[in-house]
Amino acid sequence: MTEFHCIKLSRKNDVSVVRLIDDRVMDSERIAVMGKELMSLTESENGHRVLLNLGNVRFLSSAAINKLIVLEKRLGAAGGYLKLSNLSPEVEEVFNITQLDSVFDICDDEDQAIAAFG
Amino acid sequence: MGSETWGLDQYIASDMRVGNAMVMQIVENLQRIGWGESELFGVHMALEEAIINAIKHGNKESANKEVHVCVEASLHSFFLRVTDQGDGFDPSAVPDCTLDENLELGSGRGLMLMNHYMDMVQYNEQGNSLEIRKSR
Repeated sequence: MTEFHCIKLSRKNDVSVVRLIDDRVMDSERIAVMGKELMSLTESENGHRVLLNLGNVRFLSSAAINKLIVLEKRLGAAGGYLKLSNLSPEVEEVFNITQLDSVFDICDDEDQAIAAFG
Repeated sequence: MGSETWGLDQYIASDMRVGNAMVMQIVENLQRIGWGESELFGVHMALEEAIINAIKHGNKESANKEVHVCVEASLHSFFLRVTDQGDGFDPSAVPDCTLDENLELGSGRGLMLMNHYMDMVQYNEQGNSLEIRKSR
């Protein structure tokens, strides 16, 4: 089983549910590791429906957001789907300001996101 | 607490870890003098972009170059000047990060966030020194 250092992975129905370990996602080395770990989800057999629960994230830098964009694009290219959930109002505002709310499928909570996968 | 001020004038190495530590030092001091969590979020975002960009893109993480960081803060205002030893850049030439073809480039997003959260964002003519200001 793959060992992760920056993400926690669980399964709910047919969806890979990912949580970020750091509440402040800003350290460049940790962001690089997080990016690699997120990318590994696009290669795994069950990795094509991914829910990223950002519930514990109080801050994330634009470098971290970039990793999420790359994940979204790679998953999409592989026929997969990514949804985000449980964004704090501050984090959600960042997505609104940068117009990334139209790039990502953002759900209020995990249950809503799982249901939306169908 | 209301009248307390805090400032900093320091040269730091062009090292991302040093930059991250500097960002946290500033955030923690703003918290100490009375800045609330939600207002700090925007300042933290702008700080992070300003200091990390200077280290990464300005000085290209060179061991021979330093970043000059000046902060003047009170309960009512925050001012930051970050100067790197790089060649500078033209902020008006940054690609539009909202276009699909530029999404993964990342450049421009930080500037967009700084412009949103700060009352003033100003580069010098060379483009290697940035001043940002926020009033409460």
